[in-house]
Amino acid sequence: MKNFFVAAITVLVAMTGFGQKYFTKGAQINFDATSPSSPEKIEGINRTATCVVDTKTGNMQFAALMKGFGFERALMEEHFNENYVESDKYPKAEFKGEIKNSDKVDFTKDGTYTVKIKGKLTMHGESKDVETDAKLTMQNGKIKATAELSVLLSDYKISIPGLVADKVSKTAKITVSCLLEPFKS
Amino acid sequence: MKRKNILRYIVLPLLVIGAAAAIYIYKEYNRKQKDTASLKPAYSVTASSLVSEFEANEKASNTKYLDKVIRVDGMVKQLEKDDKGFYTIILGDTASMLSVRCSIDSIHTSEVAAVKQGSVIAVKGICSGFNADEMLGSDVILVRSVVEF
Repeated sequence: MKNFFVAAITVLVAMTGFGQKYFTKGAQINFDATSPSSPEKIEGINRTATCVVDTKTGNMQFAALMKGFGFERALMEEHFNENYVESDKYPKAEFKGEIKNSDKVDFTKDGTYTVKIKGKLTMHGESKDVETDAKLTMQNGKIKATAELSVLLSDYKISIPGLVADKVSKTAKITVSCLLEPFKS
Repeated sequence: MKRKNILRYIVLPLLVIGAAAAIYIYKEYNRKQKDTASLKPAYSVTASSLVSEFEANEKASNTKYLDKVIRVDGMVKQLEKDDKGFYTIILGDTASMLSVRCSIDSIHTSEVAAVKQGSVIAVKGICSGFNADEMLGSDVILVRSVVEF
């Protein structure tokens, strides 16, 4: 009987240990720098970003390889990598931060929540504090998360040449969407 | 006579050059990404040797493999389909935390149907780098990948 209790408690502890961390390696990040006057879309999509969220502490992070952004036009992708984000020199973009009000979210049952995210975004070798709202939807034990963020490209020392200033916006809209699964170690 | 010469030796060549430049700019501007299936791989490696190479020396491996077309042979650890219908084939040893994640080109989605978990296949893709992560396990990422048959 004693053994049974020990076993039961171990299982319980193990179960509560699960579901603290959620992750994906297939987060989608859209990088949209289309200026309002541009006749065409200037947008890169990355489907290979990783994301980890710790629901207990609210800590979260994203990592994306700059070369993983695909553009419709090959020339645009080359310019993005070579002239703008210099992905040979700075191969990765990273976000490290936290969900400010994660205690308001019940990760154990289905529902939709709006949370505040605050943290540091690093790209092109520059780190800046950013803040945004994210929508979390708990569904079947998984978290569907979407967020939108506007960044000023000059904050990250990314300069837009005058020649394309009418097409490439000075601010980029970054949209993130991912489906996070419980992490089992 | 003189006018004719000007026309023949100045105006006409300028027109030809202008037209050629216009065609070049138009083509270059509208250039699409090449279909990986039609590209020759620069390197042909196994999944396990590729990941260990990256883990041993990420910088040197980046110089060697980044933006290159690589053919990777390995066992299908897992096959993932995201909510938008995009496939990722994960190659590597089941016992290892290291993998090669091949994001499949959307125009080749239908070919993934033949891929089974546990089988040994070859995937051709463009290397976009190494994502090191101690908790989740590190990956070499291939984008615009196609399954080689």
